[in-house]
Amino acid sequence: MSEYVIEMNHIRKEFPGIVANDDITLQLRKGEIHALLGENGAGKSTLMSVLFGLYQPEAGDIKKDGKVVKINNPNDATALGIGMVHQHFKLIDVFTVLDNIILGAETTGALGFLKKKEAREKVLALSEKYGLKVDVDAKVEDITVGMQQRVEILKMLYRDNEILIFDEPTAVLTPQEIDELMEIMKGVAKEGKSILFITHKLNEIMAVSDRVTVLRKGKYVGTVNTKETNKQELSNMMVGRPVQLELKKKPAKPGETILKVEGLTVPSKIHKNNAVNNVSFDVRAGEILCIAGIDGNGQTELIFGLTGLEKATAGKVTLCGKDISKASIKQRALAGMSHIPEDRHKHGLVLSYTLEQNLVLQKYKEPRFQNHGFIKFDEVREYAEQLIEDFDVRSGQGPITVTRSMSGGNQQKAIIAREIDRDEPLLIAVQPTRGLDVGAIEHIHNQIVAERDKGHAVLLVSLELEEVMGLSDRILVIYEGEIVGEVDPKKTTPEELGLYMSGAKRQGKEGN
Amino acid sequence: MVFLLQQMMLYAVPLMIVALAGVCAERSGVINLALEGIMIFGAFMGVVFVRMFQDGGWQQSQGQIIMILSLILSGICGILFSMLLAFSAINLKADQTIGGTALNMLAPAIVMFFIYMIVQQNTMGMSQGGAAGWFMIKPQTFGYPKGYSFGPIGDFFLNKVYLTSYICILIFVLVSVFLYKTKTGMRLRSCGENPQAADSLGINVYKMRYLGVGLSGFLAGVGGFTFAMTTANMTSNGDVAGYGFLALAVMIFGNWTPLNIAGGSILFGLFKCIAATYSTLDINGDGVFLLNELGVSPYVYRMLPYIITLIVLAFTSKSSRVPKAEGIPYDKGQR
Amino acid sequence: MPRKDPVTGKLKWYKSEGAVAVYSALISILIGMAVGAVIVIIVGLSKSNISSSGIVEGIKLVFLGVFSTGRDSAGQLVFGFNGVNMGNMLFRAVPLIMTGLSVAIAFKTGLFNIGAAGQYLMGTMGTLSVGLWLGWTGCPKAIAWLCAFLVGVLLGALWGAIPGIFKAFLNINEVITCIMTNWIAANLVTWWFDAHEMFKISAEGGKVGYIIPLKNVGVVTPKLLMDKLFAGSQANGGFWIAVLIAIAMWIMMTKTTFGYELRACGANRHAAKYAGINDKKNIILSMAIAGALAAAGASLYFLSGNTEFYWSTYQKLPAEGFNGIPVALLAANHPIGVIFSGIFMSMLNISGIQLKYLTAYNEYIADIIIAVIVYLSAFSMLIKMMLSKRIKHDHGNVNAEPAVSAAPADDAEAPAEIVKKETKKGGQK
Repeated sequence: MSEYVIEMNHIRKEFPGIVANDDITLQLRKGEIHALLGENGAGKSTLMSVLFGLYQPEAGDIKKDGKVVKINNPNDATALGIGMVHQHFKLIDVFTVLDNIILGAETTGALGFLKKKEAREKVLALSEKYGLKVDVDAKVEDITVGMQQRVEILKMLYRDNEILIFDEPTAVLTPQEIDELMEIMKGVAKEGKSILFITHKLNEIMAVSDRVTVLRKGKYVGTVNTKETNKQELSNMMVGRPVQLELKKKPAKPGETILKVEGLTVPSKIHKNNAVNNVSFDVRAGEILCIAGIDGNGQTELIFGLTGLEKATAGKVTLCGKDISKASIKQRALAGMSHIPEDRHKHGLVLSYTLEQNLVLQKYKEPRFQNHGFIKFDEVREYAEQLIEDFDVRSGQGPITVTRSMSGGNQQKAIIAREIDRDEPLLIAVQPTRGLDVGAIEHIHNQIVAERDKGHAVLLVSLELEEVMGLSDRILVIYEGEIVGEVDPKKTTPEELGLYMSGAKRQGKEGN
Repeated sequence: MVFLLQQMMLYAVPLMIVALAGVCAERSGVINLALEGIMIFGAFMGVVFVRMFQDGGWQQSQGQIIMILSLILSGICGILFSMLLAFSAINLKADQTIGGTALNMLAPAIVMFFIYMIVQQNTMGMSQGGAAGWFMIKPQTFGYPKGYSFGPIGDFFLNKVYLTSYICILIFVLVSVFLYKTKTGMRLRSCGENPQAADSLGINVYKMRYLGVGLSGFLAGVGGFTFAMTTANMTSNGDVAGYGFLALAVMIFGNWTPLNIAGGSILFGLFKCIAATYSTLDINGDGVFLLNELGVSPYVYRMLPYIITLIVLAFTSKSSRVPKAEGIPYDKGQR
Repeated sequence: MPRKDPVTGKLKWYKSEGAVAVYSALISILIGMAVGAVIVIIVGLSKSNISSSGIVEGIKLVFLGVFSTGRDSAGQLVFGFNGVNMGNMLFRAVPLIMTGLSVAIAFKTGLFNIGAAGQYLMGTMGTLSVGLWLGWTGCPKAIAWLCAFLVGVLLGALWGAIPGIFKAFLNINEVITCIMTNWIAANLVTWWFDAHEMFKISAEGGKVGYIIPLKNVGVVTPKLLMDKLFAGSQANGGFWIAVLIAIAMWIMMTKTTFGYELRACGANRHAAKYAGINDKKNIILSMAIAGALAAAGASLYFLSGNTEFYWSTYQKLPAEGFNGIPVALLAANHPIGVIFSGIFMSMLNISGIQLKYLTAYNEYIADIIIAVIVYLSAFSMLIKMMLSKRIKHDHGNVNAEPAVSAAPADDAEAPAEIVKKETKKGGQK
C-alpha cells in the first residue's frame, strides 16, 4: 500500500494563452485533512477540476493508492470514491433534500421506478452518525445555506466516497456554522476518510488542517505541516512577497452628514419577512462606513433600497439634504450618489457593449456626450481614453474592446473608474474586491481611501472581515435585516464582530 | 349537454397531450416553441399513413387498427421532426426560440409542398370515406342499431367518441408517472433545473435533453394526429389553428405540472368548443340557442380563448415556476 | 497579433464583425437554396410526371426565378431582365422590409416580436378603413393618404405595446402574448369588416370577400420614378419610403441616446436599470415601435392602391408577419441589412411563383428555403465562430480569452487574472 490515497504528480493544464496549472504535485494521506491554499486565480479550482475529471491535464498523472488512474469524467471520479462539495452548491432547488441526495445514485425497482424507502433510511443513518442535521423532506430552496451544505456532504457520504473535496466551504457560513463544519470535517477524517480543503482563509487552515499545499499563479510553492508553520509564513508563500496586512491610511476627518437613512424597510423577494427592517444610520463626509455581516442578511436589499433598484416600503433617505426616498434611480444618481454594484456582470456592465460605451453608462445623457439625442462619439472616445489611462484599465483593443472579453479585474477597474470619476459626494461600494487577486485588491483599496480623503462619504459593504477591519472608519453590523451593532474598528476584535454577525450579541436600540 | 361535454373533450384532449409535450421538453431544459410545427407535421403524416393503409386494401372494419397504427407512426414522425430542434438546441447550442420558429415555418412549407405534389390541391383528406365513418365509435360499433342510447353517462363514454381520446389520456397518465416516479424521469427533470449539478452527478445532460425533446416530439405528433382526426375530419392543410401555441399557453399557466395542465386544457376545451358550436348550443335543453340569441358576433367567441389566456397569464405570472435552466444551452466546458 | 490597421487599430473591413455577418448570411442562403434544389431533385426523381429536364428547369428557377421571362415558342425557359418581375419583387419587398425591421428592432432590445402578423393586420384595418372613408368624404388625397398611413401605424403601435406592457410589468414572455394578440387581432379585424358592409366589394363586383382597393378612391402612393424603372410592375414609391424608414431606424439605434438605451435594455436589463434607464418604458416603447413598423408595412402595401384584402382572416395570419423573422435574422438585425434581406426574400417568393406557373413544382419550395435559412440562422453563431476562427486564428492573446461571464466566476477568473499580468509584463517591454 502506498502512503497516499491520492497523488497528483506534475500536473500541467493549459487554457488558450495561459498555463493554469504548471507542474503541480499534491499528495493526500489517508485520514488527513489537507488544505490547498492559494489566491483567487492561483489554479486551485483548475487542479480540483482535473482531479474530478472535469478537465484533462496536458501532463502529469494521478495515482489512487499508488496505482495510476485515468479520470475522464465525474463518473470515473465517483467510481474511485472521490466526491466534491462545490463552492456553488450543485443542488436542484425544487427537489427535496432526499431527492437531491439520491439523484445520480438511485436505487430502483421494476421498470425503473424509484425506491426511496431504503434510501431514506440510509440517509437518516448517515445523518445520525456524522451529526449532519437535515430535513429530508424539505425542498432545498426552503432550507438554510448551512443545511444545504450538509446536504452536499451527505451526498458524498451516501455514495461512500473516501476522498472528500471541500471547495471554499466557509464563504457562505456564519462563524458558528463554520465551527460546526470544522467539527464535522474532523469527525469524517476520524472515520478514515481523507479531506482536501480548498481555501484562502488562514485561520481555518490553522484550526483544522494537518498539512497545507500552497499554490501561486498556477505554480507549486510547497507543502508544509500545519503544526510547523504560522499564518505569516503561509501568507508570504501564497502571495510571493511579504504581505502588509494593514492598510496605510490617515485618520478620518468626518465632516457634515452626506447620507441620512431613517427607518428604511425593504421587503424580501425570497421570504415573507422584510429583508431590511427599520434600518437607520448616517454616513458623513470624509469617512468610510462599513456594513459588515454574513452574506444574505439584507446587505444586497439595503443597497437596492438606497439606490432605488428596489422599492422601499417605509423609511426616509436623505442625500446631501435632499429627500430622495421616492426618487427614481436616475434622480438619486444625479442627487450625488455613485454606486459600485455587487454583481459586476449583472448590474455593473453591459457585457456586449464596448468599454467606451460602458464607461459612459451613467453619463451618456450629459450635454458633453450628446446633442439633441445624438451621441457625440468623438467626445465619448476622448473621455474613455482618458479614464483608461488614469485608472490603468487594461484591455485588448482599448476603448472599442467588448467588455465581455476583458478579465474580471479589469472589468472591475472599469466600473470603479466610471463611478469614482463621477466625483459624487457619496460612493457606495458593494464587495468591490470580490474575486480579485491581492494586487488588484490593494489598488482598489487605495482608491477608496483616496475618495475618502477627498472629502467624500463612502458606504462600503463587505463580507471579508479583514477588509472590514482594515478599510473602514466605522462599522455597522447587519444581522437578519437589522443593524445590531456599531463598533470602532480600532477598538474591536474579529471575535466581537463575529458575535454581532451571528446575532449572538446585540447593542441596545438607543445606539442608533 | 352530453354533446357539449364530448365536444369539449375533443378540443381538450389534443391540447392536453401537446401541453404535456411542452412539459417534457422544458423540464429537460429545452424550450420547444415548435409544438405547432410538430403537430402540423404529425397531422400530415397521419393522413399520409391512413391513406397508405386505405390504398393498401385495408377495410373500414379495420378502422380502429388503422387508427392506432397511424397514431403511433405519427408520433414517431413527430420524434424524427423534433430531432431537428434537439440537434440545433443541444449539440449546436443555438437559440432555441429561433430554432423552434424555424420548425414552425418548415412544417407548413414541407406539408403544403407535398400536399400539392400528391393531390394538386391545398387540402389532403383520406383516400375514401371520412373520419367519422371509419374511426368513430358509435352504437353500431357494438352491434346496436343507429340512434341507440346508452344513457347520459354511457353516451358520454361510448356514443360518437373516438378511441384516441382514451389513448391520449392513457399516454398522458403514463408519461406523467414516468416524469415523477421513475429514475430517468427524475434525472430528466434535474437537467431542466440545474444541468451543472446533474452533470456533476454523472448524469448525461445531452442524453436527457434528447430524451425530453424526443418525448415531446412523440406527444406533439400524436396530438397533431388526434387533432386532424377529431376536429378536421382526417384532413391536412398545413395548419392546426394555433393549437400548438395554445398548448404552450396552457403549459405555462398549468405551471409545468401535469395535473394543472389537465385542468387548464379542459377549461380551454370548453371555450374552444363554445366558439365552434355556439350557434347550435342548447345549454339547458329548452330548445333555445342562448348564445346565438344574444346577438354577439361569433368573432367574440372565437377571440375568447386567447383573451382568457392573456388574463390568466396576467394573474398567474407571479406564482409561476419556470424550469430554471430552460432555454440555456448546456456547455460541458462551462462548469 | 491580429492584423490590425496600424493607424486606426481596427481589423481590415473584410475581416470585421459586419463582414463576418454578411459571409454567414450568404452561407445560410446558399445552403437554403441547395436544400431547395435537393428537394426539387428528389421529388422530380420520384414523380413519374417530371422529366429530368423538368428537374433542371426547377433548379434553374429556384436560383434564377426572378430573371425568368417565361417560355419561348419552343417551350424552353428563357432568362433575362424582367422589369415586371423586378418591380414586383421590390413591391413585395416593402412589407417584408418593414416587418423585418419590426422584428430586428425588437431583437435589439432583447425581445422576440413574433406578433408582427397581428400588428400587420391592425395596420391593414386602420389604413384601409381610414383611406376609404376619407377618400369618400372627398378630402384632399394627400391628406387622406397621410391619415390612412398614420392611423394604420398608430394601431400597430398600440397593438405592439400590449405584449410590451405584459413583459414590462408582469414579466410574461412576449412570445406567448404576441401569439395570443395575433389571433385576437385576426378575429378583431374580421369582426370589424364583417360589421361594416360599406368597405366590402359588393357581390356585383365579382370578388366576394374582399375589401375595396384604395385606388377606387384615389388614395394611392405616388410612383416616384418606379413606373419608369420597372414599367408594368406594381412597384411604387412605397419602396423608397421603406428604405428611408430603414435608414432612420439605423440612425436611431446606433447614433442616438435613445438607441443606446434600447440596446442596453436588450443586452442587460439589470445593468440598464442600474444606470437609471427606465427599463419598463423602453421595453414598451420598443414593442410599440416594432408594432408601428409592422403596421407601416401593411399600410404601404395596401396604399399601393390595387392590392385587395381578404377580410375573413380569422383563421389565417398573414405570412408577411412571420416572414419578417427570417428577414431580420438574415440581416443579423441590422436595419440596413434588412433592406437587402427583404428584397432577397421577396425574390424567393417571385421564384416560387415562377415555379408554380412554369413547372410541375409549386411555390411552397420558396417557403421551405426560407425555413431552412431561419433554421441555419439559429446557429449562425456557430458559422460566425468558424469564420472568425479562420480569420483570426493567429490571435493568441486577450481577444481569444474565454468569455468570463459565461462560466462560474472562479474557474474563469483563473485564466483571466493571469492573462492580465502577462499582458502587463508584455506592455512594459
